[in-house]
Amino acid sequence: MPLDSHRIHDIPDDLLAAIDYCYEQGWTDGLPVIPPVIDRVEATLAYEGRPPEAVIATHPATGLQLTVHAAAVNAVMAGCLPEYFPVLVAAFEAMDKPDFNFHGSTASTGGSAPLVIVSGPVADDIGMNADVNLFGPGNRANATIGRATRLILRNVFQMIPGISDKSTQGQPAKYSFCIAERARGNPWPLLCQAQGYPEGVSSVTVFASGGFCNVENHGGNTPEQVLGSVADAMANYGCITLGQSVVILAPEHMHIVADAGWSRADAQSFLFAQAKRSVEGMRGVGKYRDVEYNKQHESDAHPRVEADQFHRGLCPEDILITMGGGDAGGHSCFLPSWSRGRSSLMQHKPIGVCIDCG
Amino acid sequence: MRIYDPTASGPQKTLYRAPAIASLEGRTIGVLENGKLNAPEMLRELAALFEARHGCTLHPLYSKSNASAPAPDGVLAKAAAEVDFLITGLGD
Repeated sequence: MPLDSHRIHDIPDDLLAAIDYCYEQGWTDGLPVIPPVIDRVEATLAYEGRPPEAVIATHPATGLQLTVHAAAVNAVMAGCLPEYFPVLVAAFEAMDKPDFNFHGSTASTGGSAPLVIVSGPVADDIGMNADVNLFGPGNRANATIGRATRLILRNVFQMIPGISDKSTQGQPAKYSFCIAERARGNPWPLLCQAQGYPEGVSSVTVFASGGFCNVENHGGNTPEQVLGSVADAMANYGCITLGQSVVILAPEHMHIVADAGWSRADAQSFLFAQAKRSVEGMRGVGKYRDVEYNKQHESDAHPRVEADQFHRGLCPEDILITMGGGDAGGHSCFLPSWSRGRSSLMQHKPIGVCIDCG
Repeated sequence: MRIYDPTASGPQKTLYRAPAIASLEGRTIGVLENGKLNAPEMLRELAALFEARHGCTLHPLYSKSNASAPAPDGVLAKAAAEVDFLITGLGD
């Protein structure tokens, strides 16, 4: 039986006309959506134990609320299978944390997209891609979970381009931006383990991300060479800020780093120390601000912060680094935080379980 | 075909505007700068116009570091107690 409390549209029983209807209502991201018919929404709801009216996230400015039901409707529209739903729910639970600031990151001229990183066994369980073409295209779970994220921001929270989403140029990731962390052959602890979740529990990490930067290096064969090229990308004048970073190492690069005995902490420390610009250089491009320099060089500054240098972030732990992508190719990537001043910090949540309910 | 609506209805909110002050003459101005580049400088320039034209006095600036989040707890209450009107900004 359909839920009486949720609005239903009665439309002609014609699939193409229904797709057009969704366009006419302004419910799409520019691409056709799956009309959210009742039985598909109910099948999706079956993967969430809470009642449909349970609230997952609330917009801090407008008070608009994302219910389990509304999330399921948008998940169907995005093309999600029901088994993807717990990932989507966990992603918005993470985005609802105040420090993520999903309003600011979505409304900003900066044009961030929420990167959703799934870590742990659920990635394989639901058929996600952590391998070739990690960031797309081609995988239904990756593509539709990311797309559902955007549809919810648009339809539920009314973060509509040109109205409440003032991104200057937008970016392709605003259509969909979801990956799985590669577990196969990963020499470091997975993110879900590093985040402290019990064995067998998967996690989702959300990050308000700027544009994707491919880091190509086929000649380097030491950690310093490979990570040196990553650090250079992190320090480019177009995005060097106090913000956090995500680095996804291709397996070729990861093996160079890990086979030399470097841990995740070693790589983070190196990247933080190397991803920097001189104060003079920052002044030269008009990006130096006393308040930002001082924040990085206060009395509790990280030991690797250097005088007269502006580093990316505040500490090595600001850099999430893990592995993803296909076995062949020296192509890693760097993703900068949208926030110049740390107005959004990455967050994570377990998928399908409540760890700290009380 | 029956399909669900994917949007949400907002909560009912009653919004109130602060009563207009009768005159700007001799008033105390508050400025809340939002951490954006050049916000303090621009807002001080704006406040200077009120000082010059209406004999206003500029109260020491209030600040927030996150332009896309509300002011820290207590800042607005403090400002309400200390100034007659508040100017805030900037956008990009």
